[in-house]
Amino acid sequence: MSESRNLSVTEHNKIREMLALAAADALEPNESELVIRHVRTCPQCSVEMEQWQLLSRGLRQLPTPQPSPDLVQRTCARAEARVIDERENAWNRRVMISLVLFAWALTLTSWPIVRLVSGGLLSLLDPRLNQSWLGFAGFTSLVWLTGGIAAVLLARQQRQERSLA
Amino acid sequence: MGLEADVAQLRRGDLDALSTLVSRYQNRLFRFLLRLVRDRSEAEDLFQQTWIHVAEKIRRFDPNRNFDAWLFTVARNLAIDHLRRIRPSSLDQPISEDESQETGLDRLAAHEPAPLDRILENERASRVGMALDELPFAYREVMTLRFEEEMKIEEIAQVLAIPLSTVKSRLRRSLEQMRNSLETRYAGENWR
Repeated sequence: MSESRNLSVTEHNKIREMLALAAADALEPNESELVIRHVRTCPQCSVEMEQWQLLSRGLRQLPTPQPSPDLVQRTCARAEARVIDERENAWNRRVMISLVLFAWALTLTSWPIVRLVSGGLLSLLDPRLNQSWLGFAGFTSLVWLTGGIAAVLLARQQRQERSLA
Repeated sequence: MGLEADVAQLRRGDLDALSTLVSRYQNRLFRFLLRLVRDRSEAEDLFQQTWIHVAEKIRRFDPNRNFDAWLFTVARNLAIDHLRRIRPSSLDQPISEDESQETGLDRLAAHEPAPLDRILENERASRVGMALDELPFAYREVMTLRFEEEMKIEEIAQVLAIPLSTVKSRLRRSLEQMRNSLETRYAGENWR
């Protein structure tokens, strides 16, 4: 008799701890079933359950704060501007990479072509021409550096113009 | 058009779908952010940042996943970053008594001429809203996701990146703390 009483007290305490979650519909179906069965027969837990349900109802019925009426338009405009900006940047990156690859390919192939077309005549005119690749590379780097600086300056100017617009 | 179709359209780069999605989620997302940061203008700014992030990263979103959970995760992460920068203490501590006197909900209610029979209802909502605002960040987010967004426990666990058992224990502690706070504050009168 006392053992079954102890068991029911344990169950009572265990279920009492589950009441808040039961009111929040956060229990597993089997736990929920257990709580419902116990609450039907336990007046104390029934009162307690009612309190939790009132609180849960209060939370579910909280008014929804409304954002400013133009928030959606502002958000869309800002997001669209950013996406367009990103797309433009991605396109510019792709174009720049393609141009760099093309230019290097052209630079590297141009030297043997010049040698082939001139039939080695140039080497007769200038005995140091075989070592002139250093000068050629230096000249190419200078051209690339100038082009790079111009590209950066143009990009900055474009960005400034866009931010002013 | 359904949510999945809008998301697919945005993934293809159609910006018209963005405006549809922003309109669809405007109230829910704004409410969630307002609960987290407790400041209207900050919530509006985070709302915009969230959608910018969504527009930029939508291609990384796995369409097999739940869009709601992804969206609220993005918003939450941005809110945490923002609070960490602006008010790091607000991530752990409940707000002070003075600050909690006027909530976003109070301000809204104050501007709306309510019929007499709704005043009591507003008063109750304001008390519950105030008690919710006083909870620490970790409790507020779990409460708003469960009771306002009506997310399932599994979805909340996904958004917050925590185990199910942690969601449940936070939910239980938040409810207990709220009830204690309401009963202490309105002892002798009916807060409900």
